[in-house]
Amino acid sequence: MKKSLLIVLMALLLVSFGFSQGVAEESGNKKVYLITMDQMDQHWQHVNAGCEKAAKEIGGIDYKWLAPDVKDDNKQIECINNAVAGGAQAILLAANGPTAVTAALKEATAAGVKIIYVDSAADYPSEQILATDNEAAGKTAGTELLKALNAKGKTTGNIGIVTVNAATASTVAREKGFRATFEGTGFNILETQYSNGDATVSKDMSANFITQGVVGLFGANEGCSVGIGNAIKEAGDQVIGVGFDTSDMILSLVNDGYVLCTMAQNPEVMGYEGMKTAAKVLNGETVDKKYVDTGVSVIRKTE
Amino acid sequence: MNEKIDSPYKRLMAIRGTGQVLTVTGVLIALCIIFGLVNPMFLSGRNAGNLFRQIAPILLIGIGQSFALLLGQIDLSIGSVVGMSCMISATLMTRGSSPLVASLIALLCSLGIGALNGFLISWCKLPAFIGTLGTMTIARGIAQIANNNYNTDSIGKAAEGFRNLFYYGKSLGVYNAIWIAIFIWLIFNFLLTRTKTGRHIYAAGSNQEAARLSGVNVKIVTLKAYLISSFVCCIVGLMATATSGMGTMDAGNCYELYAVAASVIGGISVLGGQGLLFGTVIGASIWGVLQNGLQFAGAPVAIRNIAIGIIVIVSVLVDIVVRSNKGKTVAKAEMTKEE
Repeated sequence: MKKSLLIVLMALLLVSFGFSQGVAEESGNKKVYLITMDQMDQHWQHVNAGCEKAAKEIGGIDYKWLAPDVKDDNKQIECINNAVAGGAQAILLAANGPTAVTAALKEATAAGVKIIYVDSAADYPSEQILATDNEAAGKTAGTELLKALNAKGKTTGNIGIVTVNAATASTVAREKGFRATFEGTGFNILETQYSNGDATVSKDMSANFITQGVVGLFGANEGCSVGIGNAIKEAGDQVIGVGFDTSDMILSLVNDGYVLCTMAQNPEVMGYEGMKTAAKVLNGETVDKKYVDTGVSVIRKTE
Repeated sequence: MNEKIDSPYKRLMAIRGTGQVLTVTGVLIALCIIFGLVNPMFLSGRNAGNLFRQIAPILLIGIGQSFALLLGQIDLSIGSVVGMSCMISATLMTRGSSPLVASLIALLCSLGIGALNGFLISWCKLPAFIGTLGTMTIARGIAQIANNNYNTDSIGKAAEGFRNLFYYGKSLGVYNAIWIAIFIWLIFNFLLTRTKTGRHIYAAGSNQEAARLSGVNVKIVTLKAYLISSFVCCIVGLMATATSGMGTMDAGNCYELYAVAASVIGGISVLGGQGLLFGTVIGASIWGVLQNGLQFAGAPVAIRNIAIGIIVIVSVLVDIVVRSNKGKTVAKAEMTKEE
């Protein structure tokens, strides 16, 4: 019994020795972490692709991508803590909400970590914010829909919004911008439906809206937009739909004419430029622009 | 001495579980009337078709969960198997497989998870909660790596037939999805009420040890139940692929809980051995009517969640109260006879 205990203690000592050696050796590369809202939305895949591209070009960067499995404030806090514990020197963060993660960020900056926001900022100071101005993008979407409705001679009617949830800051801002466009017009926006970005749930909600006689629909993210497009395709009702993000399915719905247009963000630019900023900051250089609007383009049917 | 059970009503009520089914059917009718009054478009023909089609997948996953619950177990992997089936079928279709081949492979994988569930619970003696919790995360992981951590591309025009078969098409004026749900319900209700396997499921759920000693092969019966559950999940996953025209990694999220709600509202007891599969039809319908009707009523989403939670709790409470009252009246009757 005593012999095996001795062996276990020796093994533990060796392992801890190994750990200390390991830490000493890794001082060369800069550790940069990307933390997004989840890992499933195509959008984050593009941000990641941008980060990887920049990391490869710059060189000397240990890059890791962390994200919760679903959009959840607490899970994102865990990711931030894990990144800090893993030795992150800079974190590129797409904050799920403006206030939930600020405590974790405070701890991170106290540990010397530099914060850069990609896609969604939190209410906490950072080196730079690279994002789509979501409220402006929502306004653009609303303007497109309003223009198309007026062109068809419609000035009144119901509009339906299908969005993710009430907490994700980016989609909340898009809805705000969209609603602002319709204020003062003859159109009435019905009670917003939350689908968590699930494409089949979004389709059901959109079909219910169409039964209620809406003239226009807005999908605030990728999953919602796929749902709206499929519902319009099925109903064949001349409902005008405007979406967000550009997956293969959304683009085919636009090209087939079921969705009028979709707002294409530039997630790869966010990741690419964000990583470059991280490298600059870790090199001790100053960052001139505090806010980079990576913008949206309106994607319509290709003629 | 038992009193003679003569009237058809008494005969019906003697079947355990009928009481709750009748109660919730009343609730369902009441809800439909209320929602119809609040917004008459709820009762329109177009919405009726949509509503039944929205109920169909909930009924299917409800059937799966009901089989697990009747055994006194639970299946937490339901939502993930739906997602896995959706992603596998869609990924294969975007890589050139025919919808038939893609569906069959998705079916094989789903049944694999079902078999794994049965194996872990029956032979490895894992508690069902833990075993299916593990397969839940495994299946979701498979859904994510199926297309290399991306949602899939559009399954394309070649899959229009598939999409019509599972979701968009109608036969005899009724959506195919509804026919599929009815057909599958008829098969599994027959299995549950008229075959040996069905009787064994009720027996094993009521008292597993007694059933085993009476010669019921509890292990095999449990395996069968979990295979049934994963089978219906595969169908729902294929419906999801057909609805969206693509594979989404988050398909089926939280479905295991909706399935429990549908079963429990319909009178399936979580303690096992009691409940009618017809109750699951009503439970799924109440779920669908709430989701659909509250949207037509313009209710904020929070109200929807609260309403569903209240109905689930009340359903289980009713079951418990009625059962304890029945026990009291039987005990009272026996005491008066002895005097």
